[in-house]
Amino acid sequence: MEVTREIFRHFPKWMELTFYIVAFSAIGIFLYGFYRRYKKYRRGRDSGRFNNLAGRFSSALKKMATHETISKRDAVAGWGHFLIFWGFIVLLIGTTIIAIDHDFLEAVFGISILKGTFYKWFSLAMDVFGVAFIVGLLMMIFRRAKKPPQLDYARVDLKKGEYDRKGYTVDDKIFAWILLAIGITGFMIEGLRIAVDMPSFEVWSPVGWRLGHWFRGIGFTSDAAFKGTYWVHAVAVMAFIALIPFSKAMHMLVDFLNLMFSDPMSARRLPGVTEEKMKESMGYIKLEDFTWSELMDFDACTKCGRCHVACPARTAGTALSPRDIILDLRTYADEKMGTPELFQQTFSGKQNGKGKEPALAGGIISQDRLWSCTTCMACVEACPVGIDHLNTIVNLRRALVEEGDMEDMLQDTLQNLGDYGNSFGKSDRMRARWTKGLDFKIKDARKQEVEYLWFVGDYASFDARGQEISRKVATILHRAGVDFGILYEAEKNSGNDVRRVGEEGLYEMLAEENIETLNDAKFKTIFTTDPHSLNTIRNEYPDFGGNYTILHYTELIANLIKDGKIPISNKLNKRVTYHDPCYLGRYNGETENPRDIVNALGCDLVEMPRNRSNSFCCGAGGGRIWMDDSHMTERPSENRIKEALSLDGVDVFVVSCPKDYAMFTDAVKTSGNEGKIEVMDIIDLVGEAVGPEEAAVEEA
Amino acid sequence: MNIVVAIKQVPDLVEELELNDSGTDLDREWLKFKVNEFDEHALEAALLLKDAQGAQVTVVALDNGLDIDKALYAAAAKGADRVVKVTGEFEGYVSSHAAAKALAGVISGMSPDLVLTGVQAVDDLDGQLAVLLAHELGMPHITVVTDIEVNGSTATVQKEYGGGMVGEFEVQLPVTLGIQAAAETPRYVPVAKVRRAMKSTDIEEISGDAAGAGAGFEVTKMFKPETGQGAEMLSGSADDVAARIVEIIKSKGV
Repeated sequence: MEVTREIFRHFPKWMELTFYIVAFSAIGIFLYGFYRRYKKYRRGRDSGRFNNLAGRFSSALKKMATHETISKRDAVAGWGHFLIFWGFIVLLIGTTIIAIDHDFLEAVFGISILKGTFYKWFSLAMDVFGVAFIVGLLMMIFRRAKKPPQLDYARVDLKKGEYDRKGYTVDDKIFAWILLAIGITGFMIEGLRIAVDMPSFEVWSPVGWRLGHWFRGIGFTSDAAFKGTYWVHAVAVMAFIALIPFSKAMHMLVDFLNLMFSDPMSARRLPGVTEEKMKESMGYIKLEDFTWSELMDFDACTKCGRCHVACPARTAGTALSPRDIILDLRTYADEKMGTPELFQQTFSGKQNGKGKEPALAGGIISQDRLWSCTTCMACVEACPVGIDHLNTIVNLRRALVEEGDMEDMLQDTLQNLGDYGNSFGKSDRMRARWTKGLDFKIKDARKQEVEYLWFVGDYASFDARGQEISRKVATILHRAGVDFGILYEAEKNSGNDVRRVGEEGLYEMLAEENIETLNDAKFKTIFTTDPHSLNTIRNEYPDFGGNYTILHYTELIANLIKDGKIPISNKLNKRVTYHDPCYLGRYNGETENPRDIVNALGCDLVEMPRNRSNSFCCGAGGGRIWMDDSHMTERPSENRIKEALSLDGVDVFVVSCPKDYAMFTDAVKTSGNEGKIEVMDIIDLVGEAVGPEEAAVEEA
Repeated sequence: MNIVVAIKQVPDLVEELELNDSGTDLDREWLKFKVNEFDEHALEAALLLKDAQGAQVTVVALDNGLDIDKALYAAAAKGADRVVKVTGEFEGYVSSHAAAKALAGVISGMSPDLVLTGVQAVDDLDGQLAVLLAHELGMPHITVVTDIEVNGSTATVQKEYGGGMVGEFEVQLPVTLGIQAAAETPRYVPVAKVRRAMKSTDIEEISGDAAGAGAGFEVTKMFKPETGQGAEMLSGSADDVAARIVEIIKSKGV
């Protein structure tokens, strides 16, 4: 007997023909749906993402092949998806080989490659990956049955009954069960085929072989059983193919493209507003304002909910869920364009009201949701498929700012920033007042050449607690012999958070003024105590002609300690935890310098469960520090303090951002934990470890 | 409906105030200026009326040689339909009498239904501008206004009194109102909108004349509050303190 298999075994001609009609119809429906999607994205604005295609492709391919973005912080989902994915890919390749062999090589040339040794290996691979496929699906189905919080589709902004998301659940179920049915019936037809005459070479199909034995044993070997199962399998496959562009299965195609065309600098560097757009409104006010890659973002979401659970605004009980922003915009875009998505959420009541069309920003996505974002980037970082929630939120915020739709406190702050260049509403002449308490004079970098230019930032200049920290930084650097200067009253707010509030015009103004000042000053390197300033100066100022090397002070201090310039005379015996500032750790990947410092000082560092790029926001970013937070059920900063207190015996909460210091000292008080944990800037620790006076106190 | 809003710039109190050499005015050379807060409310009140029932809003300011253009562009960006700069000799301190006279000369040619201005300003605190302006224009006036509703040819206006009392007035248009507060916080105007307004708006210039409008007073001396001569704290028993009080009263020759 030849080592091969017969396709359409014992099928009458009409049945074979029916198969091809069904198959081509399914493919036709698939192509039509795919074309509709393509047309949808074509309507978006250009996003300038067709650069470096090879690099983009290989980077996306690597993420897809390794599943690094899916397995990150969720091993079960990572493995489950990995098995399904590779099972699916290999089975797809196998089926394609069969199709080529049967419908092309054999039909046209009368030859077949699917025999002999190749057939044996082919059979083995298909069985192994078929098992992987089914195991992966079962893992995911069980995982979902356990109802993990990230898969809870309940909205945080609407009450039950005001919306209906059953479509999402139906979509999930169809997707998982149809694939499982395909996998199981695939093995069954293999078993039934082998059961007829049990050819010995079919031991290379280990699953099929065993099933065949079993089917023979129970007498389940009829031709009708084979044909019946075959048709169940075929119809399931064809239905699945036809459903792809109309269901969550679309993520198989869109998400690779979305990873490929995502912005490697997303969140770190926000897109500017083109001059053309500025003439009308700097924000997004209609569907046509979205770029094609943003429209694709909305379709890429698989509702995995990682952003939903990572979001500090959601955790704090606000109306914002980054997942729901993306899903609502998908619904909005689909309604506008009639994209044939079968499984949508629906709204009852005012959202569905006819009459006057609600505004995009402030209507479709309500103001409170947009203003709740802390721009901490946790959503973007958590997203396995490269969705840029933050970019969309800022573009919608820009539309609110355009209309002046914001709370009074934020409005006052923006007014202050415009009038005085700082968020405190102080005269710019007061900016360097904090230096008064020093016993030396800090160089004026506008007049004198310096090695390091210190970009101080608003909180470190004007906030009383921040000023104290600034004086400590200055003193320690001065003693270490570092040549540094500041810009005195010429420094303006760096604009990082102004941009993230959505006041792009004001951001441009502040950035341009700072760049002009910086370009006139002579220095080698900038350093800053403020991670927010660090981010915009490093990642966004280049777009405005400001190209500088900028360090965070923790990097500078860590290096000085390593070089022995800051001698540690007094090792600290403290048990501490360290909070990664969003704009340092997650945004700029700098997580180790502060830890090196803490370790060098002799502290015992205990990590919080959420650390490094998974750090949890203090709630101050993106302009939130200029807004009211009294409506929250629990401030993110309080949530974070609780996390620190859950650690065993930690009595110091170390920060390295002036806003963090302000936020967390407040949070310790408001959460009633005074005396249980002390918030210290990392420079406070350094000060204790070098200062002889402090050393004496320590020993006493 | 035609609404005219008169605005002016006042010293920004975020900076320390310095006096000029003669000690009769602020040293304006080093000061930062901003639009009088009450005038911002007057503009907001006008814009709210425009939003609600439609109106032509004209903003008028005396050209004080400072950054008044910026203020007018900002007003245009917020929604003013026409911005007018009144040129003439208006540098330094301009009394409410002079301002009223000069503004009235320009405003009277605009056939307004409503004239709004801030109830007062930090650099005069006399609350007279609306009153004097109304007089010059031959209109009725109401000041310390917190709410305006226009119904055809009349307006229903709320005026704030001391002790939390509010009075409601019905008044025939045209009328001049001194605004204490708009119904909403004056709106924020983003930088991009101001830039757009700078490109698309023409600031009209109309010459104004305040001749013959004497303020009726002259500033003879401007000074910072002087520190008192010091107080004597009395301590000891009630009898001692009482004796000391008697002694002081006697020594003062009461």
